[in-house]
Amino acid sequence: MKNRALNKWFMQRASAVILIPILLFFLYSLINLVNKDYTGALNFFDNYLSIIFFVLFLIFAGLHLKLGINEIVEDYIQNPNLKSILNKIIMIYSAIFPIIGIISLLKIIL
Amino acid sequence: MEKNLRPLSPHIQIYKWQFSSLLSITHRLTGVINTSGFFLIVIWILSLALGPEYYNFYQKFLRSFLGKFILVGFTWSFIYHMLNGVRHLAWDLGYGYEIKTANFSGIAVLLISILVTFIIWII
Repeated sequence: MKNRALNKWFMQRASAVILIPILLFFLYSLINLVNKDYTGALNFFDNYLSIIFFVLFLIFAGLHLKLGINEIVEDYIQNPNLKSILNKIIMIYSAIFPIIGIISLLKIIL
Repeated sequence: MEKNLRPLSPHIQIYKWQFSSLLSITHRLTGVINTSGFFLIVIWILSLALGPEYYNFYQKFLRSFLGKFILVGFTWSFIYHMLNGVRHLAWDLGYGYEIKTANFSGIAVLLISILVTFIIWII
């Protein structure tokens, strides 16, 4: 896709579709994890399915929230300087937290 | 730089509130809330990686009244955003534009999101 806006529009929808099953898994994990102690939570990550779902969640939620917040900034912020600062902050946010999450997951399974 | 005075949409201060627009702005609002919820989830994984002291400290916070309030709120916010997102996806595909259908699906999303949150946390 050559058009940047169309590309963003499409990626927002594509990541949304991917996030539906991931979020359902998340709700299931939430019910499972909410009263678990440290060892119980570690045991939850003892299978690759949990790890894969969490990694996919971190990547696609990061992408989806970046596109979404960009769109809100685009709609409501008039000042171009502020707009560019906010977009940079959200870019860093959407990159750094998935990375922290994935490194943490690696440390948990290794 | 020349100031750009074009009105931006939707212009909230002079907007006539309707059920459909309320749901739409809630979609954006929950999107922003979910963005901060994302942070909470990553910190939870980080605390698990750092060791039991960190995990227990975080867990203690989540079990406090404020923590529970935050968790229940985020749960609803995530579910609402997902369900309403499906509505948006249907619109993108060209379905559900009839006012009756849109109102019905809107009420359904609102009720189901509250119901599921209730089922997860109360039952």
